[in-house]
Amino acid sequence: MSGRPAATAPRPYRFPDFERTRLPNGLGVWLVPLPDRELVSVQLMTDAGAASEDEAQAGIAALTAQLLVTGTQRLDAAAFAETTERLGIEVGSESSWDSARAGFTALGDQLDAGLALLAEMIRGPRLDDGEFDRLKAERLNDILQARADPGRLADERFLREVYASDVPYGRLSAGTPETVEPLGVADARAHHAAAFAPDVANIVIAGAFTPSEALAGVEAHFGDWAGRGRGHRAMEPAQRGGRRIVLVDRPGSVQSELRVGHLGIDRAHPRYFDAVVMAALLGGVFGSRLNRRLREELGYTYGARCAFDPRRATGPFTATAAVQTEVTADAIKELLAQLQRMRDETPADRELAEVRDFLVGVFPLRFETTAGIAAALEPLAVYNLSDEYWHTYRSQIEAVTPDSVRATAAELVRPDEALVVLTGDASRIRDEVEALDLGPIEVVAA
Amino acid sequence: MPQVPIARHVLDNGLRVVLSRDPRAPLVAVNLWYDVGSKHEKPGRTGFAHLFEHMMFQGSANVDKGEHFSLVQAAGGTLNASTWLDRTNYYETLPGHELELALWLEADRMASLLPAMTQEKLDNQRDVVKNERRWSVDNQPYGDWDERMQRLTYPAHHPYHHPTIGSMEDLTAASLDDVGEFFAMYYAPNNAVLTIAGDFESEDAALALVRRHFGPIPPNANLPAAPDMTVEERIGTTIRETVPDQVPLPRIYFAHRIPPFGTDAFDALDVAADVLGSGRASRLYGSLVREQRLAQDASVFIFPIVGGAAMFAVWVTARPGVAPEALEAATLAEVERLATEGPDDADLERVRNLHAAHAAGALERIGERADRLSMYACLFDEPERVNSEVSRYAGVDADRVRAALTESIGTDNRVTMTYVPAEAAA
Repeated sequence: MSGRPAATAPRPYRFPDFERTRLPNGLGVWLVPLPDRELVSVQLMTDAGAASEDEAQAGIAALTAQLLVTGTQRLDAAAFAETTERLGIEVGSESSWDSARAGFTALGDQLDAGLALLAEMIRGPRLDDGEFDRLKAERLNDILQARADPGRLADERFLREVYASDVPYGRLSAGTPETVEPLGVADARAHHAAAFAPDVANIVIAGAFTPSEALAGVEAHFGDWAGRGRGHRAMEPAQRGGRRIVLVDRPGSVQSELRVGHLGIDRAHPRYFDAVVMAALLGGVFGSRLNRRLREELGYTYGARCAFDPRRATGPFTATAAVQTEVTADAIKELLAQLQRMRDETPADRELAEVRDFLVGVFPLRFETTAGIAAALEPLAVYNLSDEYWHTYRSQIEAVTPDSVRATAAELVRPDEALVVLTGDASRIRDEVEALDLGPIEVVAA
Repeated sequence: MPQVPIARHVLDNGLRVVLSRDPRAPLVAVNLWYDVGSKHEKPGRTGFAHLFEHMMFQGSANVDKGEHFSLVQAAGGTLNASTWLDRTNYYETLPGHELELALWLEADRMASLLPAMTQEKLDNQRDVVKNERRWSVDNQPYGDWDERMQRLTYPAHHPYHHPTIGSMEDLTAASLDDVGEFFAMYYAPNNAVLTIAGDFESEDAALALVRRHFGPIPPNANLPAAPDMTVEERIGTTIRETVPDQVPLPRIYFAHRIPPFGTDAFDALDVAADVLGSGRASRLYGSLVREQRLAQDASVFIFPIVGGAAMFAVWVTARPGVAPEALEAATLAEVERLATEGPDDADLERVRNLHAAHAAGALERIGERADRLSMYACLFDEPERVNSEVSRYAGVDADRVRAALTESIGTDNRVTMTYVPAEAAA
C-alpha cells in the first residue's frame, strides 16, 4: 500500500436547476426545489446596502438591516423573536456594500409561515426608536471593542489607508463612530422607504418544497408590495499614494497583524476567473505559496493567506498574516517577495493543476446544504450574472492557464504599490521595519 | 426526524468502524476519532496532544510533508483536524470516488508516522503552534478566558485543569522522543473510531477497503489506563477572580461544575442553556440586552466533556457605564429565576423547535454527520445516539430543567471571573 490509490469513476454532478421568474411588481423569484431535503432556505436581497445610503449617513444601511429583526408593526421586538423562534425559525438580517439581506433556514413545513413573517418584517418593520437607540449603542460599543482587537484594528486601518480619502469603501460598510453617532430612527425610516422596494429585490428559495406552492407563497406575501428603490450610487475607487507603511501601535502585542495589498477587482472584471485561481495559488489553500513559506517553512505564523474582495466597484486585494513580533520585518519581506514572484514567474503546470483541480473538484461540496445553494444564487441576482453561471463555472476554471495566471498577476498584483499596515508593538518593531526601506513609515495610535 | 443509517464493525485489531451510507450527493466523509486529548497529557507536556495533531500532517512513510493536504485538495476535498480535552479528530470530505485516497492517507499515518518525523519538522510545527497560541489566546482581548476558567473550575490534579493549547514552556520542552512515545501509546487502531458517511458503493465494499488499509496495522496491546477523572460534584465554594486586561468593556464569566456529557442531567442543562442563551427570545438576551440594556451581549456555553464533571459557562459583556456588580446581579437573577420557576411551555416549544432545525442543519452536512457518529462511538460506544439526539432533547421537561439547575448553580459551585479594563483597575 505504498502508492496513492486510484480513484474510481466520478459521478457526474450538476448544479441544481432552478426556475427564475419576476412578479409584476419587479421582485425577482428564484426557486430551487430539492425534493430529497428536509430543510428550506430563504434569502431576500435588496439593493439597500451601504452603496445605497448617503455618505453623510454612513452606517444607516447596516443599522436599518439589523433593525428589521426587531419587530413589525404588529409584533414588538420580544413578540417577533418569540413568534419566529417558536416555529424553529431564526431570522437573520445584515447588509454589505452591495445588498441588504434577510432570511432563514427552517424545516420545510415552515416555509409559508416563514415567508409571511419575512414579508411582514421587510415590508412593515416596526423601526422602533427604542430599539434603534439600543442597536446604535451596541454598534458604537462594538467599534470600541474592535479597538482592542489587533486583527480588526488592522482590517479597519487597511481600508482607511488604501482608498483615496473621498472613496466610501475606505471605511467599514457599517460606518464610523463619527457617522453613526448623529443617526436617528427617522433616518432609518427614510432609508427603508427609499431603498427597500420590490423592483430592486430578489428572493431565493432552495430546499424542500414544490415550485407551485413556493411561488404561490411569494405571490401571496409579496405580490402587493409596491414601490421603486433608489438603487446604488456609482463609485469610482482610487488608491491613496504608493508603497508605504502604517504601523498601528499596540504596546505589549506578542504578534504583529499584517495586511498588505492594494486595490483589486470589481465583480465584472474580465479576468475574474484567472484572479480567483491565482489568488488560490498564492494564498487561498493550505498549500498555497504564502502559507507554505510563512507557516510550513518559516513557522512565523499560524496562517497566511490572500484574497480579492470583488464588489460592484473595485474592492481591495489583501494578504493577511498574524506573525510573531520578533520576525515582523522578515515576514513583511518574505510576503512581498511572494507577491513579486507571482508576477515574475509563470507557475508550473503541476502547481496550477492542483489548485484548479481543487476548485473544480470541491464544486459539489460547496453546494451540500440548502443554505449553500441559496447563497450561491445571490451573486447571480446581485451582480446580474448569467443563469448559466454555475453550469459553466468549472469550465471557466479549467480554462485558466499558466500564461493567463502570469498575465493576471502582472496586472493585479503590485507589490511596488502595496500598502503595508501592521498592528503591533512599535517600540519593538519600528526600527527593523523602517530598515527594510520599503517607503515612508507612519506610526499611529490604536 | 429521519434516521441516519448505521452499521458497526470491529476489525481484528480493534478498530471500530461506523458506516452510514447516503448516496444523495456524490460526497463521502472519512472521520477518525482517536481516544486521546489534552486530558491524557503528562505533567510538563501540556499542549502536546495538539502539537502531535500538527505532526500528523508532516508526512508518513509514503506521504511527504504537506502532501496530505495537497492530495486531498487536488481530489476536490476539504480536510482538517482538531484536538480538545477528551479527543483528537481527523477528517476529510471529498467526492465519493476518492474514498480510498482518504483511507490510504489516514492508514499510512496511523501505521507509519514515525519514519517521517524529524527535528526540523517538530521545530517548525512548535513555532506554528506557539503562533496559534499567540493569535488565539495571548494577543486577543479576553483570549485566555477558557484557560482561566478551567484552572479555577477543576482542581490542580485534575486533567481538565490545564488548557488544550498548553503553555509556551511545555511546548518548548516537547521532544522527538515525546512524539515517538505518544504515537506508540495512543495512535493505535484499538484506540480509534473510523466513520465513513455518504456516497459509497456498499457497506461490504467500504468495509473491504477499510480492511485492506487498516487491517494490517497492529494494535497496542498495552493501551494505558484512562486517566483518573474523579472530581467532587461541586466546587465547594464561590471562587472569584478579577482580571485587569486590555479590554474596553468589562466582561463577566460564570462557570459551574455539572454532570458529564451523556447523562440525563447534562441533557436537561443543555435545554437550560438554550432557554437562557440561544436566540433573541432567550431569557438573557431579552432581559439583559434588550430590556434592561445592561449587557452588550450574553452567551451560554455547555462543554460536552465526559470526564468526572463537565462545565456550564455563562458570559455577559457590560455596556459602557454599567457596573460589573449590577450586571452580575442581574445575570444571576435570571439564572436563579429559571432554576426556581423552571421554563414555561413557550420556552420549551421554542428551544425544542430550534434544536430540531439545528440538528437537521447539522446532519445535512455529511462531514458533521460523520463527526457526530465518531463522537458517540468514541465516547459512549453508541453511535446510534445520533438518532436519539432530538428525542432526548425534546424529552426534557420543566421539572428536569429546574432540578438540574438547582443542583448545579448554587453559591457552593460557582466561579465568577471578571475582566476589567486595565487602566480602570490600576
